Amino acid sequence: MTPAREQLLALKQVTVAFSGFVAVDRLDFEVASGELRCLIGPNGAGKSTTLDLICGKSRITAGEIAFRGEPIHSFKEFRIARAGIGRKFQVPSVFRELTVRENLEIGCSRDPGVWRNLLRFSGGVDTERLERLAVLVGLEDHLETQAAQLSHGQTQWLEIALILAQDPALILMDEPTAGMTAHETNMTAELFNRLRGKHTLVVVEHDMGFVRDIAETISVMHQGKMLAQGTADEISQDAKVREAYLGSGGIGHA
Amino acid sequence: MSGKVSRQILLYGIVCLAILLVPVFVEDAFLLNKYARYLIFGMLAIALSLSWGYAGILNLGQATTFGIGSYCMAMFLKLKTVPIHTGSDGLPDFMVWNNVTELPWIWMPFHSMPFALLAGILVPALFAALLGWFMFGGRIAGVYAAIITLAAMVVVNLIIIDQQSYTGGFNGITDLAQFEMAGFTFDAYSASTYYLVAICLTVTLFLALAVSRSKTGLILQAVRDQEERVRFFGYDVALYKTFVFAFSAAIAGLAGMLYTIVMEFASPTFLGVPLSLSIVIWVAVGGRQSLVGAMLGAVLVTGVQGALSESEAFLETWTLVMGGLFVLIVLFMPKGMAGAFEALARRFPKAAPEGGARHATEQAPKSQPHLGGAL
Repeated sequence: MTPAREQLLALKQVTVAFSGFVAVDRLDFEVASGELRCLIGPNGAGKSTTLDLICGKSRITAGEIAFRGEPIHSFKEFRIARAGIGRKFQVPSVFRELTVRENLEIGCSRDPGVWRNLLRFSGGVDTERLERLAVLVGLEDHLETQAAQLSHGQTQWLEIALILAQDPALILMDEPTAGMTAHETNMTAELFNRLRGKHTLVVVEHDMGFVRDIAETISVMHQGKMLAQGTADEISQDAKVREAYLGSGGIGHA
Repeated sequence: MSGKVSRQILLYGIVCLAILLVPVFVEDAFLLNKYARYLIFGMLAIALSLSWGYAGILNLGQATTFGIGSYCMAMFLKLKTVPIHTGSDGLPDFMVWNNVTELPWIWMPFHSMPFALLAGILVPALFAALLGWFMFGGRIAGVYAAIITLAAMVVVNLIIIDQQSYTGGFNGITDLAQFEMAGFTFDAYSASTYYLVAICLTVTLFLALAVSRSKTGLILQAVRDQEERVRFFGYDVALYKTFVFAFSAAIAGLAGMLYTIVMEFASPTFLGVPLSLSIVIWVAVGGRQSLVGAMLGAVLVTGVQGALSESEAFLETWTLVMGGLFVLIVLFMPKGMAGAFEALARRFPKAAPEGGARHATEQAPKSQPHLGGAL
């Protein structure tokens, strides 16, 4: 909310309809550079769909998505990624048959061309950087472990590390703590607080405790629209938000 | 990591050396011809292992590009026979029988050896690149891609049979000259041809190994695991898949050219469904995620097939025996012989070279106690 910050992402009047059902309805959403923004809302509010639209997994029906002032909504997915947008999926999605180290090597995608990568062998990547990332997510002892053998929480962290290896300007996280134990969730919050400022993050999350721990600004979506925006306290006092959450048993368990 | 790689290079080198040494012990020209044929099948298995085992693209039409390579070589060798099998005006005999009066334009450049050799590799690669770009650009994957590769093969096969006056139709292209290069004549029944095939196989195997070990190879394996995830890291997945599809086709094209030299003809049966499905079986038996495994799988299966079909006892039942073996292997060794061997090497990390896996010791360097991952 600091006005000095430069705008990074802007959704203008974005609408998407899947065979008649309007999942996102004339949504305006802006994120400034360096911000850590949480996106919450009851089930079916359109949060994950919004992330899908930004990273190109789904296509908008109307409106505009601009990244650093440039419209990107018609780019192919890999071009959006190259422009500097990274996406973590809700269901942890890593390369299960490969080792943690190999996974991280793939995450380092600064030079994504086929031909140059033909001439790049295991020694070609920045090993120190890989190991730093592994330490950051607590996987330094598992570099040679096959990803399929990691626990659920470790798999979530590995995917986060992969996104960090990609080093995008904007990171979209879809429920990074889903399925984590309380301890793992706390460690993830700690990790996110360390990422603050270095990366711009948009985090979709259901765990309100986690959201309170990390968020500066919270955006609340409901039925495809932006309902409210503000600090954690402002949001929890907001009458509209309380009303939207009533059907789903209160804000804490939404 | 680097220890694993050097172990792998050593193992591949030993296998290739063993293959290159065969003519020292085998003098029977008929046998050498047969072994050369098996090695060519081994090259096809390497090609399929790259696209199927590494990138997850099941190509049910690998024989298409094999056949195209084979015809390129046959066209060149046919024009070499002027005037014996071509008539004084350089027209191949089957064209005369089909009342063709002038050499078709498509045959013209095949007077030149460099052109023919390049065409035998590049035409299959371009064909695959076009087909691949269409499929992978359109996000066609899995079973649907497999069906398209199969259908494309049937189409090419029909065109070749239909265009009898240009291709020899059902009969293929026969009565060819012997391949000559750099002062050597490659008689199909001689050690020289065996060496030619064995050297091509060695080069192919190491080239494929380099691709599989590069970052591109790693990304292809990631595509096999989670295509979507790779795309969102900024990799152009369609381009990666098209590359490996075309590279695999180029290997098949080279194998096809060699096959014409070894068989002394080209035939539409080379682009057939039976051969294509056989390649899938070889690779499944050998282990699709291991280049050398797939290659040895092809050599072993075709070798056993040959031996069984020639033996008195199994003259009638050998297809049944082979079929039963495949079912057993696919059921109990989902990663093929290479996968089973690696699992064995992992279970007996210390004992493997001495006793644990006896059949493995002939491939395993004795100084290395642990071979897991070397295949």
